[in-house]
Amino acid sequence: MTRPILLALLEVKRFIADRGALAFSIALPIILFALMVGVFGGETSFNATAHVTDLDRGQAASELIERIEQVEGIDVRLYTEERLDDALDRSAVLTGLVIPAGFTAALEDGRPASVQVRRRGSGGDAGQITVSIVRGVADSLASEYELRRALSHLVSEATTPERVEAQTGILLAEALREPPVRVVNRALVEQEEEEDILDRMLPGIIVMFLLFSVTLSAQTLIEERRNGTLERLLTTRLSADELFTGKFLAGVGRGMLQTVVLLVLAFVVLRIAGVSALAQSAVLALVVAAAASAIALVIAAVARTDDQATWAAVFITMFMTVFGGTFFPIASSGVLELLSRFTLNRYAIDAYEGILAETATLGDATFEIAILSGVALVCLIVARLLFRFSSEAK
Amino acid sequence: MSASPSANMGCMDEFLVATGLTKSFDGVQVVESVSFTVHAKEIFGLLGPNGAGKTTTIRMLSTVLGPDEGDVTVDGHSVGRESDAVRRLIGVCPQELALYPELSATDNLVFFGRMAGLSGKEAKERAADVLERVGLTERAKDAVRKYSGGMKRRVNIAIALMSRPRLLFLDEPTVGIDPQSRNHIFDTVLALRDEGMSVLYTTHYMEEADRLCDRIGVMDAGRIIALGTPTELKAQIGDPGATTLEEVFLSLTGRSLRD
Repeated sequence: MTRPILLALLEVKRFIADRGALAFSIALPIILFALMVGVFGGETSFNATAHVTDLDRGQAASELIERIEQVEGIDVRLYTEERLDDALDRSAVLTGLVIPAGFTAALEDGRPASVQVRRRGSGGDAGQITVSIVRGVADSLASEYELRRALSHLVSEATTPERVEAQTGILLAEALREPPVRVVNRALVEQEEEEDILDRMLPGIIVMFLLFSVTLSAQTLIEERRNGTLERLLTTRLSADELFTGKFLAGVGRGMLQTVVLLVLAFVVLRIAGVSALAQSAVLALVVAAAASAIALVIAAVARTDDQATWAAVFITMFMTVFGGTFFPIASSGVLELLSRFTLNRYAIDAYEGILAETATLGDATFEIAILSGVALVCLIVARLLFRFSSEAK
Repeated sequence: MSASPSANMGCMDEFLVATGLTKSFDGVQVVESVSFTVHAKEIFGLLGPNGAGKTTTIRMLSTVLGPDEGDVTVDGHSVGRESDAVRRLIGVCPQELALYPELSATDNLVFFGRMAGLSGKEAKERAADVLERVGLTERAKDAVRKYSGGMKRRVNIAIALMSRPRLLFLDEPTVGIDPQSRNHIFDTVLALRDEGMSVLYTTHYMEEADRLCDRIGVMDAGRIIALGTPTELKAQIGDPGATTLEEVFLSLTGRSLRD
């Protein structure tokens, strides 16, 4: 068993000595992830639209709408109640505000008033922030109405300063006990669990580049077959099975090295996951790298030229990346979901996501690990049956 | 300076015996009933135009390819049945530069040495000796991709020497290199023969074969068409003193162009 391991170590040494391969396999994914974080995860100024239905049509409702519009970053769009509900049904709008009839009258009479929030799911981040802003604006408006009403009352009764102070205390206590405007939430659809695109992106990028680099190592194998190093190795004491095993382990070693470097960087720089999750991810990386390495051997066994190997590797990697949910969540049904089942990425990303988010352990990923191991085993058998160590007749 | 070819003709132990080797690819017979012997401490030249079947013959002799018919023994061990024993006895320098260009010469040699069964320590010591022999000690730690063509050829030969073989296969080892490197390789090959190694050498350069080889087999269209010492071959078409090996070669294989 020593010779296959020596062969694998040599391949890892060649990988490290090849700056182009290193840049492609390690630097490029880091740059890509940094760009993705910049695009999807950076801070931006807040902009949102408040979708409002005014059933009250009174002065207080008009003032409320006007003041919401004056808040920086918020635009107001008015709807009839039917149109708002229709927009919510179609998910064109995730959060709507309904000012009910009697809003103005309640404020003028000093009774509790309410604004209804109609939301779809969680209502979205922008919707939640908008509701929070509207609540502040409505409270301020209500306080003004209350103060106006109290002053008017005090002025109408020839009062003393002591009485003004006592009345003010009562009003403050009431305001503290209950907010002037109640915001009533009404969920139209239960909240679906939202996925942070960055949570999926790191595993996606790791798996994509692992596939790229390991399957492209099939090209290197073809090159070795052509330049005679594989054949030369067969004139040493290395058997064909040892040579095949060594090349498989070499792919695993390259994949592991690449993945571990990326995971450690993510841990150190981005503070993603803890040490335990990192260790479990490294174990998972071993299985993913084994599957990718076995696929590379199949490509090398079938392809006759460097170009054939390159295009086969690119096609397989792109298919798995696009349909395996690397950048976007996989559909829950239909053709896309079906296609995703034929990708390593789907299973690898699902397993990585849970482990890196520390919501699952390796034990929870038994199904995914079994699938990946099965792919590795089947591909290894196929590759061994088809693999040629020599080029065509010389 | 090494001894001349004729100085070794006294030793006639048969070290490699090829008998009736035949090989076809996709129905095309590439090698047909090839039989010859390589004696101990002999440089045996295998000459022939492109496509004559030389490399296929070497692949069969060196355990890489199984013949359809015939057998080969190396020091009494059958290549087909005792390939591991045969591999302990042989070193192969293929026509291609079969090495890892990203790695240094030392790393290449140590790796192939380990594959040939040497321990790590043995492989490192042997690599240093072999690199000195091929004149690459000073550049031993440089990546092979930075070497000139001649230096790469010398590394290619050095790898074949790592296992201290008793029979060395050199398949066109001097293709595309300058006269200095070529002469260095000649001296190395002659010295190895003088130390007791048998060498099977293929080349397209007739003056090279004339200078180095004790005996020569001429192949054409998959068959051995002539076998003997350079002097014996020259005598077949004229005065050995006035005839060149190239004239013999063209006389035997014809002047028509080959693929």
